This record gives sequence, C-alpha cells and structure tokens, in this order.
Amino acid sequence: GRKLEPIGALKQGKWVGTGCQGCTSWCSSQAYVVDGRVIKIRGNVNAKSQQGAACPRMRLAIQQAYDPDRIKQPMKRTNPKKGRSEEPKFVPISWDEAFDTIADKLLELIKANEGHKLVAFRGRYTDINDLAYSTFPKLMGSPNNISHSSICAESEKFGPMYTHGKGSYRDYDLINSKYVLIWGMDPLATNRQVSTWLKNWGEIIGDAKIAVVEPRFTSTASKADEWLPVISGQDGALAVALAHVLLTKGLWSKEFVGDFKDGKNLFVAGKTVDEAAFTEKHTNGIVKWWNLELKDRTPEWASPLCGIPVEQIVRVATEMGNNAPYTCVMMGGGGVMQQRGAYNSMAIHALNGIVGSVEHEGGCGFPSGATYGSFPAFAEFQTKEAAATAKHKKIDHRGRLEWANMPTGSVGGGVNTNRVADGILAADPNEIKMAIGYWINLNFSCAENHRWDAAMAKVPFFAHCVTHNSEMSWFADILLPSTHHMFEQWSVTGTYQNMVAHRAIQQPMIDKVYDAKNYESEVMWGIAEKLAAKGFTNFLDYLKTFKDPETGKAATNGEELGLYMTKILTEPIWNPEKYKSGDKFNGWNHFVEVGVWNGGAFKYKAAWSNMGTATKKFEFYSETLKKNLQTHADNNKATIDQALAAMNYTARGDLAFVPHYETPITVGDANKYPLIFIDQKSRLNREGRSANCGWYQDFKDVDFGDEKNGDTIKINPVDATKLGIKHGDKVRVTSPAGSIEVTAFVWEGIRPGHAAKSYGQGHWNYGKKANGKGGNNNAVLSAVYEKLSGATVYYANTRVNITKA
Amino acid sequence: MTRLGMVIDLQKCVGCSACSIGCKMENNIPDGIFWSHYKQETEGTFPNVKLRYISTLCNHCTDAPCVKACPTSPKSTYKAENGMTLYNSDTCISCRACEFSCPYGQITFNAVDAEAKPYHNPDRALTEKGGTQGLRKKGKVEKCTFCDHRVRNGVDPFCVETCPANARIFGDLDDPNSEVSQLVAKNANFVLKPEANTKPNVFYINSYGKK
Repeated sequence: GRKLEPIGALKQGKWVGTGCQGCTSWCSSQAYVVDGRVIKIRGNVNAKSQQGAACPRMRLAIQQAYDPDRIKQPMKRTNPKKGRSEEPKFVPISWDEAFDTIADKLLELIKANEGHKLVAFRGRYTDINDLAYSTFPKLMGSPNNISHSSICAESEKFGPMYTHGKGSYRDYDLINSKYVLIWGMDPLATNRQVSTWLKNWGEIIGDAKIAVVEPRFTSTASKADEWLPVISGQDGALAVALAHVLLTKGLWSKEFVGDFKDGKNLFVAGKTVDEAAFTEKHTNGIVKWWNLELKDRTPEWASPLCGIPVEQIVRVATEMGNNAPYTCVMMGGGGVMQQRGAYNSMAIHALNGIVGSVEHEGGCGFPSGATYGSFPAFAEFQTKEAAATAKHKKIDHRGRLEWANMPTGSVGGGVNTNRVADGILAADPNEIKMAIGYWINLNFSCAENHRWDAAMAKVPFFAHCVTHNSEMSWFADILLPSTHHMFEQWSVTGTYQNMVAHRAIQQPMIDKVYDAKNYESEVMWGIAEKLAAKGFTNFLDYLKTFKDPETGKAATNGEELGLYMTKILTEPIWNPEKYKSGDKFNGWNHFVEVGVWNGGAFKYKAAWSNMGTATKKFEFYSETLKKNLQTHADNNKATIDQALAAMNYTARGDLAFVPHYETPITVGDANKYPLIFIDQKSRLNREGRSANCGWYQDFKDVDFGDEKNGDTIKINPVDATKLGIKHGDKVRVTSPAGSIEVTAFVWEGIRPGHAAKSYGQGHWNYGKKANGKGGNNNAVLSAVYEKLSGATVYYANTRVNITKA
Repeated sequence: MTRLGMVIDLQKCVGCSACSIGCKMENNIPDGIFWSHYKQETEGTFPNVKLRYISTLCNHCTDAPCVKACPTSPKSTYKAENGMTLYNSDTCISCRACEFSCPYGQITFNAVDAEAKPYHNPDRALTEKGGTQGLRKKGKVEKCTFCDHRVRNGVDPFCVETCPANARIFGDLDDPNSEVSQLVAKNANFVLKPEANTKPNVFYINSYGKK
C-alpha cells in the first residue's frame, strides 16, 4: 500500500444539549456546533434512556434549520382575496409592523368584546407553551385555544385511561420482556421512543419473541417472529379473541387478576360465570367482562372477521400467556384511531391487564416525570370582559351530545382539532374573525383537508408563525418566521423512554440563520409591547412578572422572557434547594451544560391497586368510563344510551363499560372502492415538515416500498392483477373525499384488499424540493371521528379505487 | 501490516439509514450521491414474507478492481498502507474506468460541481493531497474513504459512531486481537459478491430478519 503523508487535526467543535421534536418521541439530543453552525446531531450521551442513540429523522433537523426556503423575515399579504388559487403576494415587512398589525386586530376584538371570535392554534410545542397556548387567548378573551392533539393520538390514550387510569403514552420495559405484541405501530420507524428501540432492538429480539399486528409488513415486522396482517378496522375482533383464549386456557396472571375460589377454570366458551366464584386482586370486573363480551368471542368467531387464521390467534395468545407476566402489548394509532376505535384501545391495552404486565417488569407503565415550577398567576391581569367571553362555547363543538371528547378523563374536555374547520365554515357557535397559530399546518395535516382551505379563506385575519411558508400560510395575512426549536430558542421538552423519564433543554446555540423569533416567548412579548403602546397594558404587565429565579430580575424583552420561562419551569431540576427527584445539578449552568435530566428508577408494581381509576384497580369493567359517560349524558340532559347512539356506537347498557367488539365503519362502497386505505407514517417525517430536506428525498425509500423523490401506493399483486395495474404505473387513487396521483408499488408485504401509502409527500407550498411530489393522504381521507376520544380517524378511514393515471 | 475493515452485525442493524444520513453529514455529499447506502429485497408470498436489508459501502477490497482498472501512473485510485482504498483527484483523468470496474456500484461520477452548504463539515478537507476534500468537482469521482480524515486522527468512521444500533464495528483485520477480527473469527460471516474475488474488507455477521 502507498505510504500516507500526515494530515491535520480535526476541528474541536462542541456538543451542545437540545431536544428533538421531530415526532413525539421527544428524544434528548446533542448538536455539534463548529464556528456558530451546527453540523452533526446525536442523541444526548448523558441521557439514561437513549444513551447517545439518534434515529434518522433527528438528523434532518439540520437541513430544516438551514433550508434556503425558510421564511427569512416577517411578511404581509398584499392580495386581499384568499383561496387555493389566490397567490398571497407576500411582501417583506419589519417585526415592528407585524406586531403593530396583529395588536390592532386584537384590539378591535377586545374593544368590541369579541374575544371569543379569536382562535389560537398550537401545533408542535415545547413545555413552555402554557403562556402562548393557554394564557394569551384567555387574556384576549378567547375560549378557543386549539391544539393539534386529536389528529395525533387521542383514541390511543383512551384505552389506558379507562382501564389503567392514565390517559397517556405508555412506556415499555422491552429489555426485560419475553414476548412482545406490537399493535398498529412501527416502533423501529415511527413514534414513540424510536431512538431507544433502534439502540436496543438487537438485544430485545435476542431475548424475546416479537409479534406484529398490522396489515402492512412494517420495519418492525421485518425484524419480528410473527406477522398478524389484520384486516384494517377489525383489530377489536382480534383483541377480544386473544383475551378469550387467554381466559379459556387459564393463562391470566393469578398474581395480578386473581383466581377462581376453588382453583377450577370456569371460563368455558359460551358459558356465563358466577361473579362470586372469582376473587379478584388488582383488577376490576374480569368476570363481568367475560359474561358481557368475551364468552362468545372465540377464535373461530374472530378469524373470518379479522382475517387471522384460528391457529395463529391461538398460538399467539398461548405464547403471550406462557410468557406472562413478561408479555408486553404495545399499542399505536393503527388499531385504534378508527371510528368506534376507543373500544379497540381498551381491548388491546386490557391484554396487558390479563397477562399481569401492567406496571410489571417486562411490561408497560408510566415512569414519573420531572416536577416543574409554575409560571406567575394571570387572573389579576384578565379583564372582566375577557373572562366573560373566554367562557363562551368552543369552536370545535367538544362536549356536545355527539362529542364526548374524554381521552384523558376530562369529560367534553378533549380537543376536536379537525372539527374546527366545520365550526369556522358554519360560524357555529360563532363566527371567527381572527386566527393566530404556530408550528401548525392544518391545511396539510387534517383529513379531508380541502375544508381547511375553505375555512382559512373565510377567516378575515390570520397570523402564522412557522419556519416554512406552508399550505396553511397560503391563507395568512401576516407570516412570522419561527425559530427552530432545536437550535435557536430557549425551551424544554421531554417524556420517557426505556422506563426512565427525561427533560431536555433546548437552547440558542448557532448564529441565527434568519430573522426568526420564538412564538412561545418572543412573539408573545412583541405583541404585548404593541398592545401596551396602544393602551392595553395588561398583557405586558403580566409578562413583566416573569422573573429570573437566580437574580430576581424581571424580563425586559422577549429573549429574556423565553430564558426566564425555561428557568422558572425547570427550577426544581437545576436548583439544588428545590430538588425533587432524579439527577441533581449544582445550578442552572450545570443543567444547561449536561443538557438533560434523568428521572429515577421505575418502581414496578407501585401502582397496583393504586391506579387513577374510580376503583383504583385495573378496570376490565370500567367504573371510570361509566361515571364519565354519565357526566357527559347529564351535561347534555340525555341518557348514556342516547349519548352512545348520538356518537354512533352500537353498545348499550353495561356493554358500553367493557372493552368490546364494535363493527367498524369505513367510508366508501366496497364495490366502487375495493381497497382499504392505510395511512402509513414515514420513518423520515418530522411531522410533515421535512419533505423539503434533501436527505428526506434521498432516503425516502428507507420506508419499504417507497421511492426516492417520489410517492408510492403499495398494493398486493393479487389486487394489482384485478385492477390491471403494473408495478411502477402512474396511478390515480380515488376515495369519496378526493383523489391523488402517485406511483404503484406492487408488493407482497401488504394484505390483499388494502393499499398503503406514506404520509409526508404531496406538498404544494412547502419549498422547492417538497412541492409537486406525489399526493397528500389527507386529500383522500374523510373527516370522520372517534367520538368518545375526539380523535380524527386515520386508519380504516376510507376505501379507495386505483386506476391508471 | 494494517488492513482496516468493518463488520456489520445484521441482527443489530435496524434498517433505518441513520448511517447513510450521517455519512452525508460527515462527508458533505450532494443529493443523489451515496457513499453509504442499502439494498432491500422482499421474498415470499403474502403472508409468508421476509425482508432483507443490507447496509452497503465501499468494501475497500484487498484486490480492488478499481485500482487495477485505473490507467494513470501513479494510480489515481490506490491502496494505502493502512488498507484503505483511496482516490487522488489531482491525477485523475476522468476516464471513469474505476466506476465501471466496481462490482458493487460504489463509485459515483460527478456531473456537476457540488454546492456549498452552511452545515458542511470543515473536517472533510483533511485528507491526502488531491484526496476527497471538502467539496467535489465536476468530472471527478467519489466514494467512501472509511472517513480517512477521522480514522487517521484516531476516531472511528462517522457511520460507526452514529449508528444508533451499534451495528458497525471498525478496526484492523490483520490484528488477530482486534474486535473486528474476533467477530469475523467467531461468527458465521459473509461478504458481498465473493465470486468477484475482490477480497472485500466489509464483513456481515448474523441475519437481519428473525424468521
């Protein structure tokens, strides 16, 4: 070999702590900064969860931040007409003019006592969002703070809420599992806890059997033992049949659930059981559930519905039981963000209850997070008039008889994001005169998205704070460039992974790429200053009560406000005198340097018989749901059965309080639209915001069956033959809601009768690399809902037809 | 002798492309060009489906066809003393013989000059004279250099460091005590296209799928 001459030394940059919010894994992260620029990304090596691991999408944040198509300065619309075909004709303006215009519009509402005609949208947010999301609208007199949550996960929270007593994302102790059933999610590709699973999967599959329930052969299925390609929408049938087998074979956890008094298993198919014959331990209503639902839910009953062979149902249930309690059931949106999917969510999560893996080693649980400090109280700064209009009914119709919206336990309290378009269009309960929103793109991300084009065209004034001029921005009057959360602002984020909680600091670390501001702090300050200059001082007076916990100094500008908000919130983490739990720091600078706080070790079984349910037990018969449904019915002067009918569920009476099978509803006549559409989440999506990154387009095919720079729909060869479609054909995908043009990918990895397509392409206003590639799934998905939770339906949503384009 | 090489543990590999995106980050690689990449293949008929995913890069072959094919003197594509297959754009005559000779398709020709980006890595400039520096020029070829600028500074190639699954292991295959040598010795392993007789220095162990 040729002798090599010496070369120079590597540049010494610095790894700076941050938090990634490209999906809801919310991983802690570190960015490598050289000469004021970020050039590399990794997981934070100080995090006990990920230990330095980073999924592929985290890396795309660099190209997001340095995207030449980012909004470079505030802009205003010069074409007063709004519509998909109306070019907004934005022209650059100063931040001063932008704030001045927004303040004028807010004052018009305030002076007319019309605060309820304001809607404030929140998309991706950090933990300092409370000021912008909750307090700001209240001080302006608006009840309409609308988050994106119900287009994300709400029915996935519902099942755990009404069985386990916690309406939240679960963490999974897979390192200690012996059997893992993964339902309607692809944890090696999409949220949650992706970085952790990528790091540990080689070890996990060495020790545990893995089974995946999903009509599409997922990334996770490609590294699993079993694939259960369920017919989309029929997840509930499979879940109750698995429960039936576990009980009839006597494989439930005696330690967690209890046992028959005389030790003989009376769970015999078709036969009711005397409740008095069973002594329950940490659960509520196993026999009621059996009698009301499970006794007839045999594998023979389920198989023709869900498309899974009887022997596979029996085999999987048996192996789940044989490995109990080290059997973990993971749940994602696929099996539950369906019409009537709330009961699938209960049924799937209840499998953890049967095998006793709830809060058990190798099972699922909710690690304790950080204690946060609180922001100053705002009540004294809210005018009487604002307090009154802020009590008006919300624009999303939550809480009405047909909208229980109670995914996390608050009856009628959950958001109904996608319904807002209809509320605006019908001026129901009132007209909307002004909207303001940040890191949100509802015209792209909501099912049946053309309604949003009509709705946003109808709103007379809209201010949008985002990184990219997007589909929703097209309807904006003022466009505000947002900072990138990972590199350009003070804030904090976190969740849990690998059974340990974390909180990751986000900090300004690079030379700002463009003249951007953080909506959650700096934009709030700018608006408050302008309102004060025009005589409405309340908001600014309130912001001046935010003080640096270290110096006691009040904020004097937006950047200080963001820093102080972050310090106030995280003070119990970094201030040793206010220390509560987990990692201990010797001060603010120490926390910033390390970049991440780790919670303490998870306490297995601590929540047994101490759950957040009405009975404190894990509820197979949900007294919690019964109580909340009664409250919902009472609020609407109706009976529970009337409410269930209004929300289009089939259950009546006691059946409504146990996990049970409901016949799925999928839009579209099967004769006209032969294939069930599957909305696939992409490995590289940063929530629909990364399609303008070169690396996104270069590696799009890392989602099996996708293509670089393109957009495909995956169909089985059996269906391709029937439809006369060949691999690589340009095709038109049509549903009752609309149609898109993409490329056909003929593939054995999809169940016949289904068509899977990644969400993410199909932008028409996001930048040069993103625009004009393929189609947006939301153009073919219908605006239908899971009404107990308020979730917008993304799975088993619609049927489609595919024809040559 | 030193023979730098890599072992890719397919059981750990999760098919996520983080290595390849990391490679782009480290080496300032333009859109459409890949030094680190992957091959995917589906086998079987529904529902008995199996997927293969193989992470690929330059094999830094001991008997490198690209070196044999290079017509210049001295060779513009050459074996270095540490076993890396490197490239000198100063002496390259743009004939593309190396590209056409590579059985693995790992050499790419630049039809246009690469464009500078704010996030480009300044360390890529550290390399042999005429080597694959910061940005590539029209009419020249490029491929994986095993991150020679890092390795010669005592750190692993970036794909090894950045793989979230720790599926890539780097070291000296001529040192029987190195981790890579031990892994190759103790595990059933394979190389790509053994029939090409190139003696690749990238080895694969274990299998990607479970079934």
